[in-house]
Amino acid sequence: MLKITNLKAEIEGKEILTGINLEIKAGEVHAIMGPNGSGKSTLASVLAGRDIYNVTGGEIEFKGKNLLDLSPEERSREGIFLAFQYPVEIPGVSITNFMRAAVDEHRKHKGLKPMSAGEFLKFMKEKKALVELEAKLEGRAVNQGFSGGEKKKNEVFQMAMLEPTLSVLDETDSGLDIDALKIVANGVNKLKSKDTASIVITHYQRLLDFIVPDFVHVLYNGKIVKSGGKELALELEEKGYEEIKKEADKK
Amino acid sequence: MSNHNKLTKENLLALYNDSKSYISDSESHKKAIEFINNNDFPNSKTEDWKNTDIKKITKHNFTIYNNQSYKDKINDTFYIYDLNAIQIVFVNGRFSPINSNIEEINNSNIFVGSIKEGKEKHPNIFKKYYNTTDITNANIFSALNTAYAEDGAFIYLPKNTELEKTVHILYYSDGADTKGLIQNRNLVVAEENTKLEILTSYHALSYDTVLNNTVTEIFLEENSNAKMNIFQGEGEGAFQLNNLHISQQKGSTFESNTATLCGELVRNDLVVNLNGEYCQTNLNGFYLAEKEHIFDNFIKVNHLSANCQSNQLYKGTIDNNAIVSFFSKVYVAPDSQKNDANQSNKNILLSDYAKVYSMPQLEIYADDVSCAHGSTTGQLDKEALFYLRTRGISERIAKTLMLYAFISDVIVKIENKAYKDFLFFLINRRLKQEKIEGLCSHKICPSC
Repeated sequence: MLKITNLKAEIEGKEILTGINLEIKAGEVHAIMGPNGSGKSTLASVLAGRDIYNVTGGEIEFKGKNLLDLSPEERSREGIFLAFQYPVEIPGVSITNFMRAAVDEHRKHKGLKPMSAGEFLKFMKEKKALVELEAKLEGRAVNQGFSGGEKKKNEVFQMAMLEPTLSVLDETDSGLDIDALKIVANGVNKLKSKDTASIVITHYQRLLDFIVPDFVHVLYNGKIVKSGGKELALELEEKGYEEIKKEADKK
Repeated sequence: MSNHNKLTKENLLALYNDSKSYISDSESHKKAIEFINNNDFPNSKTEDWKNTDIKKITKHNFTIYNNQSYKDKINDTFYIYDLNAIQIVFVNGRFSPINSNIEEINNSNIFVGSIKEGKEKHPNIFKKYYNTTDITNANIFSALNTAYAEDGAFIYLPKNTELEKTVHILYYSDGADTKGLIQNRNLVVAEENTKLEILTSYHALSYDTVLNNTVTEIFLEENSNAKMNIFQGEGEGAFQLNNLHISQQKGSTFESNTATLCGELVRNDLVVNLNGEYCQTNLNGFYLAEKEHIFDNFIKVNHLSANCQSNQLYKGTIDNNAIVSFFSKVYVAPDSQKNDANQSNKNILLSDYAKVYSMPQLEIYADDVSCAHGSTTGQLDKEALFYLRTRGISERIAKTLMLYAFISDVIVKIENKAYKDFLFFLINRRLKQEKIEGLCSHKICPSC
């Protein structure tokens, strides 16, 4: 589904990603961990197409297409979803209108007709229930006045609405209490299928108790320096990154 | 007629030559002429006119229309679905009965009609109020209006009356074969315990250059309530100078909403005097400036009594080479305690060449008041744009969503649902850059 080959990226002349190689197949969950500043969020941003990052080398192939040729909106329509670490507040833009516009574009891309207002509201209600989003959304602006937990739940709700094939969760666990974390993780798990895949970026093992990864990768200095199964996360929780850092620095 | 190819005071006055058909009495007329003789056109050094490039107007040589009422029925008039208004139509500055529908109201003791007729029908009211505010000689253009304006709207509500329907005043310019100078002079008198809503809209029937020079005086007596919506959607060649003076007495309420959508140069001078206690005034407006538009809002709210409240909210977008000014001064007179005043102006620049001059000011001489002012000018939030795009929304639609939300803040304040829906529809289309044939100004307004 996704194949990243020797990906390099910089911001304002500073190289952040120094050669990432990663392959993700349908049905898999990959966790990306690593110390602060290792490039985790940069990788998420580059996958989504944020233009402040300059890709200086390498390739990203997504479902046979060159992802780097696509605009952020085209990537979304192709099936990539980024759950933001810091969801953006957009004053005045109602969630309903926002989701309506997004769903319409996705359907257009698939050659489907727009939903009727009634169908859309029903669809929204179903997805809200699926991700256990209790907050009333009608008449509210995107993320405005939302608590940290609500913002993250709203990300998962949007993910449910857009039914992506590859979702990238950028520190979705940050700022969540344990109950909210469970709800968010549950939502993500319900959306999982044999045809979809996820990249879960996190600092902590805790999230991975709820969203169980097939692979764990450690990112350090813009490279994946170690990969393993879910037990690698437990090991990191216990020992920290020091050993891995030392080993990588030696090379 | 002058043959000069540039507008000067002399050829401006010469246009009217020996005209005697002005509304003003001879004394007001004389004073206005004196004012014109003693003052120059405002220029870049004139206070409050620094950013209004009057040369855009004076480079044209205008003519005036002959002294005739417009007898033709305008086909395909400007129409707002479900507005259900009393329409009073002026074409080239003259009342056009055939295009108006004011009969029903004039069976009551309320008067809605032309100022010429109103002056005859209610001479005492006319004498008591007409030309009694200082806006009439505020600048050379308002003085010209006082000196030579021949027609306009007159609305009079006697005590304890209410206009159930909106009064829609439509100003058309036909622009046929000439650069027309059009003067409209309006008078609104609302006596004690009255209520009314006015919509004024400006439309051009052709692409030609036109200068609309409008002066409106509104008098709100005790506990009266007036709402005024101003729709400025003339063609691209239109200049509009709009002088509006509101004089409020105790317990009265005024609310305006000014929508400026097109015109080469549109300047609104709005003065509100809160003369009595417990007055409230809410001045709102939005503008979508693009191309070479110059849109100016000059506001002065004078808190001359205690316990009054004023609120201002003006928002707009500025694209291409357009220039927008928002100059607003709130003055609180000595001993006018417990006044509450808010000014807010927010702008979004959509191009590197667009300009905004925003200056909300407070001048306070009382100590127990609550005043706040703010002004922001920036670009569209790039993070928000990216966020919307990552959900599959194209950059163009994402911008539309955000700008729509930005402008909506002002539109939601309008009470009249039909007009509000019309504006929402219009700005949605405008922001999406979809043209709507014939919705306003007869196919020539870029909003359409």
